Amino acid sequence: MKLLTITILLLGNYLLHAEDPDFNSEVRPILASNCFQCHGPDVKARKAKLRLDQREGATRDLGGYRAVSPGQPTESELMKRILSDDPEEIMPPPKTKKHLTIEQKEILRKWITSGADYQDHWAFVRPKKPKVPEIANEPRVKNNIDRFVLARLKLEELEPAAEASPETLIRRVSFSLTGLPPTLEEIDTFLADKAPNAYNNMVDRYLNSPAYGEHMARHWLDLARYADSNGYQYDTERQQWVWRDWVINSYNSNKPFNEFTIEQLAGDLLPQASEHQRLATGFNRNHGITIEGGIIDEEYRTEYVMDRVVTTSQVWMALTMGCARCHDHKFDPISQKEFYEVFHFFNQVPERGANGFAPKQRLTSPLAAAKKTENERKLSQLNKELEKPLNLDALIEKWTSQIALQPKEGWVILSPKTINSTGGATLSKLADNSILAGGANSQKDIYEITAEATAGKMTAVRLEALTHQTLPGNGPGRHSNSNFVLSEFELTAISIKNPSQSQVVKFARAIADYSQAGYGVSKAIDGTTANSNGWAVDGPTRKAPATAIFIAALPFGYEGGSLLRFRLRHEADFAAHGMGRPRLSVTTDPADSLQLQGIPADIREIATIINQKRTKSQSDRLKKYFLTHHNPNRNLKKRIATIEKQLAASFPETMIMQDMAKPRATHVLNRGQYNEPGERVSAGVPAIFPTMRANNSNRLGFAQWLMDPTHPLTARVAVNRYWQQLFGTGLVKTAEDFGIQGELPSHPELLDWLALEFIRSGWDTKHMYSLLLNSATYRQTSHAGEAAYRNDPENRLLARGPRMRLDAEEIRDSCLASSGLLVNQLGGKSVYPYQPKGLWMELNNRPGYSKEYQQGKGNDLYRRSIYTFWKRTVPSPMLKTFDAPEREFCTTRRSRTNTPLQALALLNGPQFVEAARRLAERMLSEGGQTLNERITYGFRLVTARVPVQSELTLLRSSYTENLKLFETNQSTAHKLLKVGESPYNTRLNISKLAAMTSVARLLLNLNETVTKG
Amino acid sequence: MDPSLLRRSFLKRSSIGSAALMSFLKDSSPGMIKPKESAKCKRVIVLCMAGGPSHLETFDYKPKLEELDGKPMPKSFTEGQQIAQLQGQANNLKVLGPQHKFAKYGKSGQEISTALPNIANKIPDDICIIRSMQTEQINHDPAHTFMNTGSIISGRPSMGSWINYGLGSEGANLPGFVVLTSVGGGQSQPIAARQWHSGFLPSQYQGVRLRSKGDPVLYINNPKGVTADRQKDVIDTIKNLNMIGNQTLKDPEIEARISQYEMAFRMQMSVPELVDFSDEPKHITDLYGTKGADGTFAANCLLARRLAERGVRFIQLYHRGWDHHGGIKKGVEHTAKLVDQASAALVLDLKERGLLDDTLVVWGGEFGRTPMAQGNGRDHHIKAFSMWMAGGGIKPGITYGATDELGYSAEKDIVHVHDFHATMLNLLGIDHEKFTYRYQGRDFRLTDVHGKILKDIII
Repeated sequence: MKLLTITILLLGNYLLHAEDPDFNSEVRPILASNCFQCHGPDVKARKAKLRLDQREGATRDLGGYRAVSPGQPTESELMKRILSDDPEEIMPPPKTKKHLTIEQKEILRKWITSGADYQDHWAFVRPKKPKVPEIANEPRVKNNIDRFVLARLKLEELEPAAEASPETLIRRVSFSLTGLPPTLEEIDTFLADKAPNAYNNMVDRYLNSPAYGEHMARHWLDLARYADSNGYQYDTERQQWVWRDWVINSYNSNKPFNEFTIEQLAGDLLPQASEHQRLATGFNRNHGITIEGGIIDEEYRTEYVMDRVVTTSQVWMALTMGCARCHDHKFDPISQKEFYEVFHFFNQVPERGANGFAPKQRLTSPLAAAKKTENERKLSQLNKELEKPLNLDALIEKWTSQIALQPKEGWVILSPKTINSTGGATLSKLADNSILAGGANSQKDIYEITAEATAGKMTAVRLEALTHQTLPGNGPGRHSNSNFVLSEFELTAISIKNPSQSQVVKFARAIADYSQAGYGVSKAIDGTTANSNGWAVDGPTRKAPATAIFIAALPFGYEGGSLLRFRLRHEADFAAHGMGRPRLSVTTDPADSLQLQGIPADIREIATIINQKRTKSQSDRLKKYFLTHHNPNRNLKKRIATIEKQLAASFPETMIMQDMAKPRATHVLNRGQYNEPGERVSAGVPAIFPTMRANNSNRLGFAQWLMDPTHPLTARVAVNRYWQQLFGTGLVKTAEDFGIQGELPSHPELLDWLALEFIRSGWDTKHMYSLLLNSATYRQTSHAGEAAYRNDPENRLLARGPRMRLDAEEIRDSCLASSGLLVNQLGGKSVYPYQPKGLWMELNNRPGYSKEYQQGKGNDLYRRSIYTFWKRTVPSPMLKTFDAPEREFCTTRRSRTNTPLQALALLNGPQFVEAARRLAERMLSEGGQTLNERITYGFRLVTARVPVQSELTLLRSSYTENLKLFETNQSTAHKLLKVGESPYNTRLNISKLAAMTSVARLLLNLNETVTKG
Repeated sequence: MDPSLLRRSFLKRSSIGSAALMSFLKDSSPGMIKPKESAKCKRVIVLCMAGGPSHLETFDYKPKLEELDGKPMPKSFTEGQQIAQLQGQANNLKVLGPQHKFAKYGKSGQEISTALPNIANKIPDDICIIRSMQTEQINHDPAHTFMNTGSIISGRPSMGSWINYGLGSEGANLPGFVVLTSVGGGQSQPIAARQWHSGFLPSQYQGVRLRSKGDPVLYINNPKGVTADRQKDVIDTIKNLNMIGNQTLKDPEIEARISQYEMAFRMQMSVPELVDFSDEPKHITDLYGTKGADGTFAANCLLARRLAERGVRFIQLYHRGWDHHGGIKKGVEHTAKLVDQASAALVLDLKERGLLDDTLVVWGGEFGRTPMAQGNGRDHHIKAFSMWMAGGGIKPGITYGATDELGYSAEKDIVHVHDFHATMLNLLGIDHEKFTYRYQGRDFRLTDVHGKILKDIII
């Protein structure tokens, strides 16, 4: 009975409207939802060859009768069918579970009566310049936006709300444009500015802040399904952040939206494409990429192309093109064939399905351009120097004077205490503490040498192989060919204080200024003489000294001095190859700073001779040595290589778009299946839209077609998203779907006016934001009373100012900002802020593929959330809790939920507890002297306004109560203050700081703090 | 367009929106639809055997397979069929006989592998074995996605979210959709959090994962240095401050936030008690084979019962350990040991408490495994696999459907993933064809445009 009453009331309501039903807003939604599935654009699904989405089809003669007979509902088969009781006859058929209401049937009847006029779908018709309404209430008008909004309110007999307070306005604008709360200085400046254009100037200041680019880019990343991981099962890391930096930079430099678009879709195809234009094309490589084994390559490659078509059409046209993948679109006039014609543009990338990361290129982040320029400047300078001819004589002269001056610091030459030869050679100590071998030269020989060293922590031993006139050929070895082969070099250190303590010194590595090929010095410490190798120095041809350094694995030696026992073993198969004149030194220099002071003794000797007195052979030797070891160009080349390496390493390879030289054929894929190709198609755009310019049927042509001012969708879709961002809901609520099933615009003329203004301004994004923010509509208060929220919960009529919960990133960033923790640094690699331990490995722990979340340190914990590493399969739990998407696919609208898990994250998450403590530190150290001042200071930092008395009272009493508790229990206070990596300010009283931290926790959890209102 | 015309339909629509919004704001979340009153089933527990358990070693005995062990796989089965890692070996496929013995159990004589002695001996007459499952996806991640959302396209809601959205939560202290995970017994293939996300449904309907290490629910514990009393005080003061803020505003969103903070606090109080098994008698912990909530499958099964008692609508357990490409004999034995006892215990325990009548328990993986050998293991397989269901209105002690003589392809009474979804929704009193959500202009269903209800297995 009750139900019936309501129906009659509703029906009565409709009957009051004498006008004819409007096709777009009233008739089509009924037909689309209930009839188009079988009688719409999809040819294959069409039943009875009847098409109701076009007037010709609906009114066609079906053999003596018509579905729709204009003006004659009783003659229309459609009416007969929807009114029928017969289950065989009635439409929609019962099995579809669709059902028309009485009022819907009535609307259809009246529509047919009135002549069954069809209208084109509004969004597929190019916007026409609307007449700007004239408004009596001129003082309420800041710009044309308000005229449209006020005209609509007048129709509804509603009044606009008053302007919001200046504190609310600056906070709203600051969040809208930068995603951050205003600083107190910014608030005070704005409050003090009494100039008539104070508000406009404030808006301009935020538009020009670098944070603007970060904030706007963050929204774009949702659309671009940007992530730092590859998605699918293994979800390994990818490096696409250089592209993300491009987006930030593009917003900050206010790149016009048409260029922004064309570069992202087809920058690589622009004539003489710049590095950054190619970088921009990363947009369409942001989709997931699989590395799973056992997949079919073509299946996944096809998926990537599908993703590009679906994403691109959703972002620029708000079209659900994906619906036409398997069959003609059920609602919008897009055929399956047309879907694949668009598919063709994106099907030309030389890529694979598995591990399909190529094509990639090492490209520079535009945000790091300054550093890169500096490095490049250095590089060209060094290269110029490299080209200059060398004045070798002068350089050698300078060098030799340096050696002469160079103290032999670092190395202490050991004075041998005992010397013994197991082979019976005569070993004698010379004045320079070298040991000269003579006498018997047996097949094999071990020199056992001991010496005392006073230093405690020695790091290395130097062994010089000196020459002597008594040695064969004045060389360094005992063999008649002047060579030696040192098969092993061993050392034991014994404590002088306590001789029972000793250590065998293990050498980690050895270096030498000269080694014979195949007889490197490392062979002397390989722990064995069995392999018959060792260190040798080309004695037959090079009768010159050589030096080796043996670096200990761990520092050795004892306090109070050590006795060093060396064994120089000559036990290789090369008989009688003993060293001729060894000399030993030790050092305590840190191992990594050890340089082979590899200037051989003879060179050192020549260097000390005055230039004019050197013989020609001495000069030649010096020159040769200098050029080999100290060639200034070699240093230059080394520096060049280092800088080049730095340049390369600072930017990873970024995935970009590219077209193959020979185009890939595109076919309609039956049922959307990669392995069921049908008719071959060429590139094209859906017929419902303006045609593409001829001779330009590649991706670039497609991008330019999108940005053609005659395109009905592009500008509308973009400005609608700007509106959605600022007001919470777009003028078209379904910002992702402007098609027939999408919602109609709340203010169609305003939407068109804005779209045309966008085009007129040269696609000037900042201009559009400025326009929206400067409207009186935006500046209204959101304190509009209960009825306003009840009657229009989504504020579609705009009778009040916008009010919405902050986005996930804004919540975290604002807590970091108001507490002073925020580290402002533009761009760069993604970072790893706080995250509960173990989350990644709990879900993804395949050996060889998975890794633990490596939480960052220091500044990395406090960067803006746009830089948080985005792992698709395990997104940041804090961001996810506040409705951030996984970024597996394009997201135009996030949900904005209100859940207990959000409360838990804000109350208990270490990031927020630490932020509360840091906010408390600010309140205590910067806030003033009295408790009231301090609380007010913190309150203003998070809400931009001064608390009212009742709020102050509650916060004061919370502080006092907490202070009492913490004073009696300081260890609890200490625990609270230790949350987070940053240390707490120890100059502050611990109980007071803990109590104020509790107050700050309240502040960070206020509804007002997490709301933009 | 004439604005006055627009006004009529527009305002009508937004008032509908308003009603929907208001219902989100209530304390415990009621569902968006009213289930059929005759429906007995109130909740679902899914024991997801992730990795793809071999039907040929668990619930589908094939004597012919035994006979052909080591022989070439007859081409008539495999020609033109999709295979995963055995790609490229298509000409050299060998049959691998069942690696475990089967026997008949219970009054019903259900044929079950000896690798699952607890399920076989304790609950054969309680379960309905389905031997004719088929899916469309041959790799783990998309196959899970398909099993959970009825689609391989990212962004569709998981079945738990659908049911949470449709029926809401019965308890005021816990979320309506809870996920538990465990590993062991085989390659632990990663599982993405997207498997329990809400897709285009509002995100409050997504699954909340209870963790075994660290905080069971993320951020459930108070910060160090904050006692429960203090926390209560914080929440009360936030409430008072928010109410002051709302005196002039009257924004329903604020009332919602106040109640969410209170719910958060109740969760903080109830979760520790939930995961603390000290109130469970020894015979119960012994039945499951667990000592405490330590993240094992056994512990998770007991936790699942406790969640069911507390009114959680959809509980999903993942055990990642069934991907036996090699060493399937030992592998199945090992993994079965970790899940068999607790799976049976859960059914017995629910029955004991009278909860089995209104709780549907589902046991099964994302796909099956090939009758062909992959070394001494089996590859992924989509044409046939087994699962079982118990309680919630399912006929006990029956086997439904059958595969061909080699267990390659489901032949009799084929059950597609969509059919499973349709049947599950039906048990819950939901018409899967009417249960829709409009997104991007289309009315989406869990069962897409498919799904038939398996009337033969419903009481």
